[in-house]
Amino acid sequence: MKIKIIIALLFFLSYGCKEKDYIYGVNDITILPNNAEKDKLKTNEQYLNIVYANMYQKALGPDKLVDLSNVINSLGDKQVAYEIIIAKMMGDPEIKLPSKKDMDADLGKFITETYNRFYVRQPTQAEKTFFVNFLKAHPNLTPEHVYFAFATSSEYYFY
Amino acid sequence: MGTIKRRTFIKRAALAAGSVIAAPYILPSGRLFATTNAPMADHVVFVLFAGGVRQQESILQRYLADSQKIPIEGNIMYNLLSGAPPDLKIAYGTTLPGGQEGGVPISKILSSSIQQQGTLFPEVHYTRGGTGHYGGLSSGVSGHYGLTQGLRQRPLHPTIFEYARRFGGFKATDIWFVGNGISGSIPLLNYSAHPDFGSKYGANFIAPTITFGAEQYIKGFKIYHPDDELDPIHKMQTFLNQSFLLQSGELPNIGNTETEREAIKDFIRKTFDKLEKQQISFPPITDNGDNISIGFATEVMKYFKPKITVVNLSAVDVCHGNFTSYLKALHRADHGVGHLWNVIQNQIPEMSGKTTMIIMPEHGRNLEHNPITDENDWFSYDHSDLNSRRMFSQMIGPGVPAGLVIGSENNPIGDATDIVPTIADILGFKDDVMNTGLLDPLAMSLFDRI
Repeated sequence: MKIKIIIALLFFLSYGCKEKDYIYGVNDITILPNNAEKDKLKTNEQYLNIVYANMYQKALGPDKLVDLSNVINSLGDKQVAYEIIIAKMMGDPEIKLPSKKDMDADLGKFITETYNRFYVRQPTQAEKTFFVNFLKAHPNLTPEHVYFAFATSSEYYFY
Repeated sequence: MGTIKRRTFIKRAALAAGSVIAAPYILPSGRLFATTNAPMADHVVFVLFAGGVRQQESILQRYLADSQKIPIEGNIMYNLLSGAPPDLKIAYGTTLPGGQEGGVPISKILSSSIQQQGTLFPEVHYTRGGTGHYGGLSSGVSGHYGLTQGLRQRPLHPTIFEYARRFGGFKATDIWFVGNGISGSIPLLNYSAHPDFGSKYGANFIAPTITFGAEQYIKGFKIYHPDDELDPIHKMQTFLNQSFLLQSGELPNIGNTETEREAIKDFIRKTFDKLEKQQISFPPITDNGDNISIGFATEVMKYFKPKITVVNLSAVDVCHGNFTSYLKALHRADHGVGHLWNVIQNQIPEMSGKTTMIIMPEHGRNLEHNPITDENDWFSYDHSDLNSRRMFSQMIGPGVPAGLVIGSENNPIGDATDIVPTIADILGFKDDVMNTGLLDPLAMSLFDRI
């Protein structure tokens, strides 16, 4: 009789202690930075078309595109080629750059617009803070220097 | 005081000496040991005398005799080879106003030919694979026949550039590949697709006729002040790149440091200036792309004093459709190479007497002509038959025997893949290269063939 009582007690307890599983309707996600999906390298032509449009606010003509693409192919170090081409553009009076005055008037706005213009995304708070502090610490820097850095940075070479 | 047996003393002394010799030290490349053999020279210039050169008009000095059945022989490459030029039907030179087209041979530059000053392998074999330009060039710079090599694909086996940087510990601006254009996948030759080597050991490539022909796009590019502008720009770039590099990647790069990149920009800027002031060391006759490239190649050497410079020529390929133009291009290629050697010896003190130059076509040309004739009714030649596997190589420089000829028409010695181990031999890392097992089994240093 004792044994039957013990078995019945164990049976009762095993049910009584079971914790109920709750399932929520949320999937696991991996959190990535907001530039993580840019994993395809731009072709020379894509890079040139985009950077020209960003700098001049107009489309690059086909003849110029071929010539500039050839320049890039004529140099083994593409970073050097890109920097030379951008440095040449920077000396062109037709290039459309914000003024130093506008930049200094609202550094946060300038940085946000620059990220939008070149990276097609919003800056993170950390990125915005870095640039605001950096530009305050380097008062001689102009939009040209910032644009040069963005146009020759790795994220800009990818899409 | 203890005594020591003579045998023990010798053994210990030998061990001590051995440990000193073998003491490892880390090179910038990460390799533990320095050169595996004694270097013979500090610099190597490899001229890819390319475009497809027939033995008959080059080494055999048959001029029109073999090609057009016109019994006139002679040497039209008298800077490279010893031998008298043709005395009739001169069509390979320059043209005086009102004179015969190509009727004035270009003056010899070198007082004694490279054959006299160096070693000639007159009958070298292109052993495997098709005799196409890219395959030939790829074999020349990789020491491996690209039997499965695609045309728009980097060499499948490591190039001499990568071997040099990895085993010689050279920095990127020590190694240059000067192409005569950007067509035919030439820009892909500066490093291979091999997973153990690749871009980080690549050569700096420049196609100067394109770079310096693009005046409106890059001449006068802005130079930023190194401290006030460039330094903060680099800091911003570094910040922008840091987070991104963790996720995705970066441009394939050949490992130039920031300093080297600025040096390349400085070179480009100064070369534009020299071009404007007509101070480029062009060959006296510069009426084709090959010799313009050679002029700029001398500027690369003057500025960077590279350990390895590979210069590619190709104008002789006009032989597909114009034999007269082919003869002119061959004559000019010889002129250009003579000029190149002359500049190295007389205008670049850091390289004079310390440079070995190697010359080799990428392949030959056919024995039988195609149906195309030119303005002189001379037939043209393609490159696909057994004759196109015949080629030559030459060396000149420190440690190279003078006036030596190795092999002959009936006794071929040398292979088209020999140049990579030869350069490695000259610069002192031959064993490293051979031990990779990545060269063609026939590839051998030309010095080992002497």
